[in-house]
Formats: sequence, structure tokens, C-alpha cells
Amino acid sequence: MSDATELAERAGGADPREGLRAVAALRRLLEQLEAVQVRSARQQGWSWQEVAAELGVSRQAVHKKHGRR
Amino acid sequence: MFERFTKAAKDLVRGAAERAERAGDPYVTTEHLLRQLLSASGTPGAAALAAAGIDSEERRGAVERDLNEARRRGGLTKSDAEALAGIGIDVAEVVDRVESAHGRGALARPRAWRRSRGRFDAEAKTVLERSLRVTLGRGDKAIGDEHILLALAAGPGIPAEVLADHGATYAAVEAALPAVQRAG
Repeated sequence: MSDATELAERAGGADPREGLRAVAALRRLLEQLEAVQVRSARQQGWSWQEVAAELGVSRQAVHKKHGRR
Repeated sequence: MFERFTKAAKDLVRGAAERAERAGDPYVTTEHLLRQLLSASGTPGAAALAAAGIDSEERRGAVERDLNEARRRGGLTKSDAEALAGIGIDVAEVVDRVESAHGRGALARPRAWRRSRGRFDAEAKTVLERSLRVTLGRGDKAIGDEHILLALAAGPGIPAEVLADHGATYAAVEAALPAVQRAG
């Protein structure tokens, strides 16, 4: 265990390592969920524009990430 | 690097690539490498796996089942799931809900965004590169399938976690190598 972690625990604060791990895991989960939802929307005939609007990103961004599949 | 591989290592890499192709997966992953290793016999890598405790059809089957479960969780490791539980997210519940809406294995599909040059994804490339470093570090001449196993066990990721859950930690595999290599 690092000194920083021990310090945080002694100070009674939350362990940053646990918090950061949760964020990284959440990001992985998010990417998977996004892939599932985009695939589903496309299968139901949604345009890239409509998908992008719901995700709150540009059409180009969503197409670059999920296109060709 | 490929020319420094032993026959067993070449067979492992080729077998993993064929596995990916048969499954229609866009890239060869560390999971394909481990699955291929589990099906190997008579190689130093297979012997090292057995020496580290994965020594029967039953045990190999249990490892495969854990790999399937991890795949169903969308490639999240158990420690990922634990970290998410810590902030109130129940991964099993998420998987259940997504599967009930989108079908069993909905999260198991390979990630579309995982772009990489060539046939191997980034993690698999890292493992193959690490197998070279592991080989040099041990003073061995050629990269064998046992070095690829050691590189997989070094983690991070699902193969390392699943191997460790079944007793084949990095340390256990490393401890098995001298005997295995003498025999080979």
C-alpha cells in the first residue's frame, strides 16, 4: 500500500485508489452499454444523426466510433 | 519477433487467430490466447498450466466458464465489478437488464471502438511484447508458449484474474517453469 493511501485512510477519507478503480470500471461498462444501445438503435433504423443527438455528441464522432459495424 | 517463437508459441498464436476468426471476432485478444493455451497439450505452456494447478479437464472447463462469465459481463473483471459495487452499481443486475432487453450475451459482443492495427488488439500485442521481455529477462533464447502464459498471468486483465482465481498466479507459473523447461 502506498504512503498516500495510508495517509488518506488515517485521515478518515475515502481511499482514492478504490474511487479511481470504480471510475475506470464505470468507463469500461459505459463503453459496452454505448455499443449495445447504438447497435440496437441502428438495427431499428435510426440515423447516425438521431443516435448522435441522443448521446449529445456530433454525428461524425458517433460514426467514427461505431461506424462500419 | 515472430521468428524468435518456438513451434509451440507459433502454434499458440496461430490457433488463437483461428479461434478469433471462427468466432467472427474483429481482433485476436488475450482471451483467445488463453483459450488456445488451455487446449494445448504436450507443450511447455500446457505443462506449466498443469503444474500451477490447472491440471484436469474439469479445471480447464472451470477456467473456460469463468472466461465466458467475464465475457458476458462485457469484459469487466471481478475487481471491476467489486469497484462498481463500491459506488452502488450492481454489475450482475445491469447485465440481467441489458440481456432481458437485448438478448443473452448482449454485452459480450466485441467492442466496436477497439480499433487497432493488424489482427491483434492492444492488450494481446502488449502480452506478446511482454512475452519477449519475460524471455530475455529469464535468459531464455526463444519465446515459448510458457513465456506467453507467464505474460498473460502478469496481467492486468481478465486472463490474469481468471488464472489467479484458479491458482495459476504469476508466481505459481514462474515457479513451475524450471521443471517444465528442463522436461521440454
